[in-house]
Amino acid sequence: MANETLTGSSGSRGDSPPAVRARRGIGRARSARAGLTLLALVLAVASVLPVLYMVSASFKSRDTVTDGKLFPSEFTFDNYRYVFTEVPFTRYLLNSFLISAVITVVALLFHSMAAYALARLRFPGREKLFALIFSTLLVTAPVVLIPLFLVARELNLLDSYAGLIIPAIFNAFGIFLLRQFYLGLPRELEEAAIVDGCGHWRVYWSIVLPMSRPILSALAVFFFLANWNAFVWPLVATNDPDLTVVQLGISTLQNQYTSNWNYILAAATVAALPMLALFFAFQRQIVESIKTSGIK
Amino acid sequence: MTSLGTVPDTAARRPARAARERRRLSRKHREWLAAALFLAPDCIGLLLFVGIPMLLSIFLGFFQVSGFGSYRWVGLGNYERMMSDPLFWDAMRITAIYVVVLVPVLFAVSLGLGLLVKQKLPAVGAFRTALFLPYVISLVVVGLLWKFLLDDQVGAVSGAIEDAGLGHHSWLGEPSLALASLIAVTVWVMMGYYMVIFLAGLQEIPQEFYEAAKIDGAGPWRTFRSITWPLLRPTSFFVLLMSTVAALTGGLDLIFVLTSGGPANGTSLAIFYIYQQAFIFGEYGYASALGSFLVLIMVLVSAVVFRVTRGGRFDDGE
Amino acid sequence: MLQHGKDAAPPPPTRRRFLTGMAGAAGALAAPAALTGCGSAGSGGGELVFWNFYGPQHGPDPAANRQSEWFTKLVADWNARERVKVRLQYLPTSAYLNGSKVPTAFATGAGPDIFLCSPGDFLRYYNGGVLEELTPYLDKGVVEDYGSTLTSRMVGDKVYALPMENEPLAMFYDVGAWEKAGLSEGDIPGTWDQLLDVGDKLRRRGRAGLVFETQPGYFQNFTWYPWMWQGGGDVLDREGAPAFDSRATRQALQLWQDAVRHGIAPRTNPAAGDLVAGFRSGQAALWQNGIWQVAGFKAAAPKYRYGVFKLPVPAGGKYVTALGGWSFCANARGRDPEAAARFCAWALGSMREDCVARMTEWCTVAKSDVAPRTSALELGARKGGYDAAAMRAFKDEIFPGGRAEPRYPPVVYKAISDAVQGSMLAGRSVSSQAERAAESIAAYTKSYQGASLI
Repeated sequence: MANETLTGSSGSRGDSPPAVRARRGIGRARSARAGLTLLALVLAVASVLPVLYMVSASFKSRDTVTDGKLFPSEFTFDNYRYVFTEVPFTRYLLNSFLISAVITVVALLFHSMAAYALARLRFPGREKLFALIFSTLLVTAPVVLIPLFLVARELNLLDSYAGLIIPAIFNAFGIFLLRQFYLGLPRELEEAAIVDGCGHWRVYWSIVLPMSRPILSALAVFFFLANWNAFVWPLVATNDPDLTVVQLGISTLQNQYTSNWNYILAAATVAALPMLALFFAFQRQIVESIKTSGIK
Repeated sequence: MTSLGTVPDTAARRPARAARERRRLSRKHREWLAAALFLAPDCIGLLLFVGIPMLLSIFLGFFQVSGFGSYRWVGLGNYERMMSDPLFWDAMRITAIYVVVLVPVLFAVSLGLGLLVKQKLPAVGAFRTALFLPYVISLVVVGLLWKFLLDDQVGAVSGAIEDAGLGHHSWLGEPSLALASLIAVTVWVMMGYYMVIFLAGLQEIPQEFYEAAKIDGAGPWRTFRSITWPLLRPTSFFVLLMSTVAALTGGLDLIFVLTSGGPANGTSLAIFYIYQQAFIFGEYGYASALGSFLVLIMVLVSAVVFRVTRGGRFDDGE
Repeated sequence: MLQHGKDAAPPPPTRRRFLTGMAGAAGALAAPAALTGCGSAGSGGGELVFWNFYGPQHGPDPAANRQSEWFTKLVADWNARERVKVRLQYLPTSAYLNGSKVPTAFATGAGPDIFLCSPGDFLRYYNGGVLEELTPYLDKGVVEDYGSTLTSRMVGDKVYALPMENEPLAMFYDVGAWEKAGLSEGDIPGTWDQLLDVGDKLRRRGRAGLVFETQPGYFQNFTWYPWMWQGGGDVLDREGAPAFDSRATRQALQLWQDAVRHGIAPRTNPAAGDLVAGFRSGQAALWQNGIWQVAGFKAAAPKYRYGVFKLPVPAGGKYVTALGGWSFCANARGRDPEAAARFCAWALGSMREDCVARMTEWCTVAKSDVAPRTSALELGARKGGYDAAAMRAFKDEIFPGGRAEPRYPPVVYKAISDAVQGSMLAGRSVSSQAERAAESIAAYTKSYQGASLI
């Protein structure tokens, strides 16, 4: 956490001001910090409580799962036992993990390349191209599904890992976010490197990419999660049970007339846990301060 | 679309750049080539998997489609039908309320959270994770969860609201309340997501500015007004635009589970209506026309936003 | 054994490779034609694919597992004797009913060869030309054996879908709650007023006294129709002319509105729609629902005391209930429509003993339904499938006088749904809702082209 930075609003540890002011400042900062911590605690609890309800409900039976109580009156592991022993849930988790990981890595590479070009390289029609790329975000997903299915079929992508991975890589969201980020980065380092005779790939790879770690970490979490929770495309694009992804697996727990909410919530909890760990690991990277000096 | 953003050539920079340009004229083409190579993978992919499907769907908007492979050219017929379809305009009205309420609330909440968890607080990593937690869960399960929590009879949240003396309400069963509930649940899900984007954006603001502000004795509010807010502009612009687009085209899974568009079409947003036309009623042509109309609205909205913020760039030129 | 290597099915017509030409000319008029390319949902050789939401599947619910087994056995039996093989493709129920997969497949010419179809979708499929006629493959006497159940699956005298089940609606009640409220067997309501009265007595904090379906959808309409029919109302009259706005319609809308307005019926489904759990956890005491819940109780709570009774009737009304149920259909644009149709007919439409026994098995062992064919119903009764009190009540009291779920197309469905939702949950005036729906229905039927709506 050494890299965590202070902001002006509650910054403590004044460097040089007169001692008296500093002492008073520290006192005020300390009480402000206590207040902010309390606020954060309250908000965090409000945010987590509904999820805790989900976790608690996943230990309930079918009859009590909808009873509205935060603590299960009878505690059962059956739902979890079921999810892991009676359903190939591990297989689903692995499928989703593989697909999400590949998409995330490839997408981060492609999108940061494109964003770098859009933010930094000069070429004719750059702003028009950006507008065009941006416009692909303005899409009404339901009406595009059938045409996308046709494209995937023509490319022989249906019912395969490739079909689950390749179409999901391309999304202008990441390009747009990274471009916004690059626009804000100081140019000096890159320009110095170019004067030194570095090629654009070198500049991108050894200067821009390392500086992008916070935003790339945020995007990695987003991409991974979006694909981990993907449902519609895997449903439409595959028939092979071996390609079942997590969310599809969860939906198969529901029957025509019996809902099995307790099993669904247990499976959803299992699916959420790795993502939580992922976020916890990455959130430090997201707030890592950008080293704008001393690179190269 | 040509006005979507401009190259930020300030007058002061221009002569210097021109001089450099002259010196490395030979490099110009290398830069073009590099740009082409950097952009190629994404551009090809976007064209294949987004661009072509989008064009096809716009094109389908001029056909009457049976859903079983019969296509009849109807020209602007679908758009004429749209103009006189009260259900669609009802859905648009609800969508407008939804967007106008959701976007600012979500923006303010997630910016506030971003500022909060940027602080050096004890266990701040846990707070960030806690606030991001709702986004980790799939929308279908979120919908299910809130269905339980807001249940008329035994819902934990609706019960707590009642215990707080705010009366017994059917949060998902009364048309006016159901939309409010949908918005609240959406804020709950999405706040952590935009919080992370703000957090990353805040990281970009050079620390020196804050230190300088502190030496000047600026309070938190002034620091925010004069440093954070202006320098956060590219991020704010991004969040504003993306959350508007998401509000117009997303949340389908949540609506399906939470309310199915009810009660009495109270949560039947445009995107839900379009989905219903396409996949429940088999009216792809009509749905495509409605979808194109929604795209048109989004193009207009983003053109305005781009204009106002000058492409979300740094120079404020005020 | 010829079945290996050489399939009788004609080679699937090659799809037009539209994309190659598409990139340059996205606007070419030829594109829609390309969308209709033929092909089948299956990736494997010449086998027919059967999309369904039952099997093969292993779920937490024993009843669902029995249903899955019935499907796997059905297909295994067919494959053991036929050259053209059938393969089951399971889809999660929610995805089958409201998802985009099935419509996407049909729209792109990649629909399944055999599939399950509900009455609400029948006309869309028929008018879209994807239903293969089944009549030529049916044994003599089968149409008569089905009787009126088949009417909504026929166009003229041709059969296009074979029902696998008949699912009447009735009122379910919690016997424990009933007794605690001081009610006895004699209090079983016969009229709407009595129904509201009983619901009022059964409700208390945390428990709904009377549940009518609240979620908008085909299912809600299906559960509402009998209340309209009982007073003599209808959506379209016997000639197919619009007849929605009537006294009977208004009083049915009024019934649901009153129940909600007085707090007797809830605005959302208790227990997120799970009737068995809702009863057992005390969140509901009386609930209009279908015969399939009998199997649900049997599997999850065999000792639970619940009762069923006929839907009460309005003053001067006549008892009717609605009969739901899904059918087997063959895709006329599939890989081998003739074989697919033969499969459907073999499975449900033959006079052979094993066919009748199969239907009985589905309706009394795998599920709890009234068998749609008289012979199967009689066999089921002989085998004791309707001996349990609830099943006997369904077979002898509730089912007779049932009317099959109508096959109204989307626009008509939506108009009715809006009327029901608007009066029930938004509290709008019943007459305005009935009028508004009647206008949309009239406008639609005027321009409608296709098979008869009734």
